[in-house]
Amino acid sequence: MDLSIMIPELLLALPLTLAITFTAMIAGFVLALITTTFRVRRTPVVSQFADLYVSYARSVPVVLQLFVAFYGLPLVVDLFDVEDFVSPNVAAMVGLSLYHGGYLSEVLRPAYLAVERGQHDAADSLGYTFRQKILRVVGPQAVHIALPGYGNAIIYLIHNVALVMYIGAADVMATAHLVMERDYNQYQFETYLVLAAIYSLLCLVAWLVVRFFEMRNSKFALTATPAKVTMMASV
Amino acid sequence: MLELKNLKLSYGSTQILNGVDLSVKRGDVVSIIGPSGTGKTTLLKCINYLVKPASGTIGFDKLKMDYQRPDNTAIQAIRLRTAMVFQQFNVFKNMTVIQNVMDPLVVVQRKSKDEARAIALQELDRVGLSDKLDSYPSQLSGGQLQRTGIARALAVKPDVMLFDEPTSSLDPELVGEVLRVIKDVTSSGITSLLVTHEMQFAKNISNRIVFMDRGVVAADGSPTEIFDAPSNPRLAQFLNSELAIQ
Repeated sequence: MDLSIMIPELLLALPLTLAITFTAMIAGFVLALITTTFRVRRTPVVSQFADLYVSYARSVPVVLQLFVAFYGLPLVVDLFDVEDFVSPNVAAMVGLSLYHGGYLSEVLRPAYLAVERGQHDAADSLGYTFRQKILRVVGPQAVHIALPGYGNAIIYLIHNVALVMYIGAADVMATAHLVMERDYNQYQFETYLVLAAIYSLLCLVAWLVVRFFEMRNSKFALTATPAKVTMMASV
Repeated sequence: MLELKNLKLSYGSTQILNGVDLSVKRGDVVSIIGPSGTGKTTLLKCINYLVKPASGTIGFDKLKMDYQRPDNTAIQAIRLRTAMVFQQFNVFKNMTVIQNVMDPLVVVQRKSKDEARAIALQELDRVGLSDKLDSYPSQLSGGQLQRTGIARALAVKPDVMLFDEPTSSLDPELVGEVLRVIKDVTSSGITSLLVTHEMQFAKNISNRIVFMDRGVVAADGSPTEIFDAPSNPRLAQFLNSELAIQ
């Protein structure tokens, strides 16, 4: 086996893995913000649907959610009378965005609730509108509280991108299988090991980015004396 | 200028406010005293609608509102003309001292940053925090936090200051610095309502004392009437037990 051939072959599929990850990260974050807003404001009817969506995203296995997206999306597209554009890649992005959004909502909601009542009271008493209160006071504090949980959510997302091969998207995982079969399944262990290294690196980078924001915000540490944590990559 | 009538509020089956009437004239410094759990703080928070009474009315100058028909415009108008100092300080934790004081001016009152900064510097100087401008709340003592809270409240130039037990969660040795600031504020002529357990302080700074007991105003009068010749037996009993502690 020649690593110098195998690794570039795997890396060729990395852009797709990254594209799916980033799409789900961004779309999921927006979805989570919207869902969480409805859920904490308890808007009638809408918040019940938001709850239903979150429990779907959190309780249905991710593989199953991908299948639902893959087979369900064409039906939805058909309803709107447009040409079917649902490829495995699109289905993967939509499916994982929905999963990540629901999961993240359950990170953001407790973080929002963890901001002290008194911070709301102070902003209300000074005449802040709900929007101003969220943007200026509660939001920044909630984000700080949510960061460690957000880091976990990102890592789970990266792991779950490996499942898109089940609906036929050619990510690094699917490519690894093609490479192994072409080599008559001689080098399975080695290929999986390289794959593991790739995923570890992705998660490490994600962890470093989240950690950077944690450190940056720690100046307004919500506890008086921030716990001294050694910089150990916990991924 | 401020008139509350027949305020009622209960949490579950516990009646907190049981028909409270209170009127405050411009320039009054009113201290509200009474045993714990009689609704002093709740009453104060009804004024700016941080708690929602079940019934009653509020009059604020020409503004009138029935709490059974809450009116967001009226609530906002009242909030813009009052400022509250909290027992738990409630200084914005994500902002430095000066940002805390500037933010309401910029965000709510739409003042320019420069103007807001000038006002903030002035108020922070008044409460003696000129050397802590860029500290975050996590780096401050309780007394410094509360003085930040007072500066933030003063900076919006309210018509009425609402002090909700401003020294109750402070270490004994930090109480003095906060009381000095409050005394300076109330002697400047701004209408103030103060919920407190500091009896001697209340007697010194107020021109009126309101004694609350079991959700109603049980006695109301000048400091001399209340402290030196308490007519109400519950009040006499309360003062005895409070003075025994102090």
